[in-house]
Amino acid sequence: MKTFTHPPQTASVPPKAAPLASHRIPVNPFSTRFTRPGQIASLNCGGHFLNPNDLIERLQFLGGTAVIQGPHGSGKTTLLTHLSQELANRGDLAACVRLRSSGDASVVFRSIAGSRPGTTLCLDSWEQAGLLLGKLVRLATTLRRCGLLVTCHRPSGMPVLMQCETSPLLLKSIVEQLPDHQQIRSSLIHEADVQDAFLKCGGNIRESLYDLYDRFEQRVRPHSNARP
Amino acid sequence: MSQANQALVSSPSVAVHFDHSHRLYEPQDRLAIRYSIDGIENNERIRAVELSMLWYTEGKGEEDLGVHFFERITDRERLPPTVTIGSFVSQLPLSPLSYEGLIVKVRWCVRVRIFFAGGRDFVSEHVFELGEIPPAHTPSGDPAKLSA
Repeated sequence: MKTFTHPPQTASVPPKAAPLASHRIPVNPFSTRFTRPGQIASLNCGGHFLNPNDLIERLQFLGGTAVIQGPHGSGKTTLLTHLSQELANRGDLAACVRLRSSGDASVVFRSIAGSRPGTTLCLDSWEQAGLLLGKLVRLATTLRRCGLLVTCHRPSGMPVLMQCETSPLLLKSIVEQLPDHQQIRSSLIHEADVQDAFLKCGGNIRESLYDLYDRFEQRVRPHSNARP
Repeated sequence: MSQANQALVSSPSVAVHFDHSHRLYEPQDRLAIRYSIDGIENNERIRAVELSMLWYTEGKGEEDLGVHFFERITDRERLPPTVTIGSFVSQLPLSPLSYEGLIVKVRWCVRVRIFFAGGRDFVSEHVFELGEIPPAHTPSGDPAKLSA
């Protein structure tokens, strides 16, 4: 289980790709550091920005409980992170917890017990909760008058806030958000690589970014047969 | 001066000067830093400046970090715009050494973080190297074979 921490800032400036200390390998812009949830903006499959305010309004319209649904690597956690940050900025976040197994129940219930009515509990990987824990969490949040926003791969019986889908255009738009993307595209990673990575990874954006990470490493490093 | 003078919000720039050329250090070396902060608008108050020296991992998976030196300056007399330059000295540890692996890298950096009274912050990182481990070589051939 991992509890996300949210910095209190409303407009933090993320560090740029670290400059080279000397003659070494260029910084890989596909590193987790630049691609992890929260570092890149949430986009829909058309490559357009998703406005957290609009989605929170929709969450309220749905009664405060909803699911972000989609396959692996489709941006569910990224979107949940952005929405939980927005809720935190408003003072409306109960907690944001990543479930690893049903053994994380105690953390979830402690979060619910410590929450204020009207706040929202965000849970990543809802399927890890299992049927019984899932029902208990929903009951506890209802009794506490809290909202519940979860991510899940499959239909969960909750209203769907967002169905996450991927496309080559989405991957391309994400790559364009990464540090020094103009340089990456022109010299090391070409648009064809982005398309190829997307197809090779079956539309999984996370895996596609890992694939692009590997391509970048392959192209900036000396090969083993070139070793003196 | 920076070009932020006409803006309502500061666009800080942080310059860091390392005392070793090429920012290369050996384990247990003494590292001395001088820094300067520019581009702070007079109407934007700074709450704190944090100076740190740390290592972090960078790569495809989970990340880790360790802070070796940390100082938080909150005394107004020592903060911009009153004071815009500063320095610190620290002795480097034996490890971890900087490393350019394929899947994971270990980087050392000096980080200057500026906290504005309005709530936002600005982070500036300046990488240096501890030790001289040569970068890992990639196996030759198809790049796609790497991603297994």
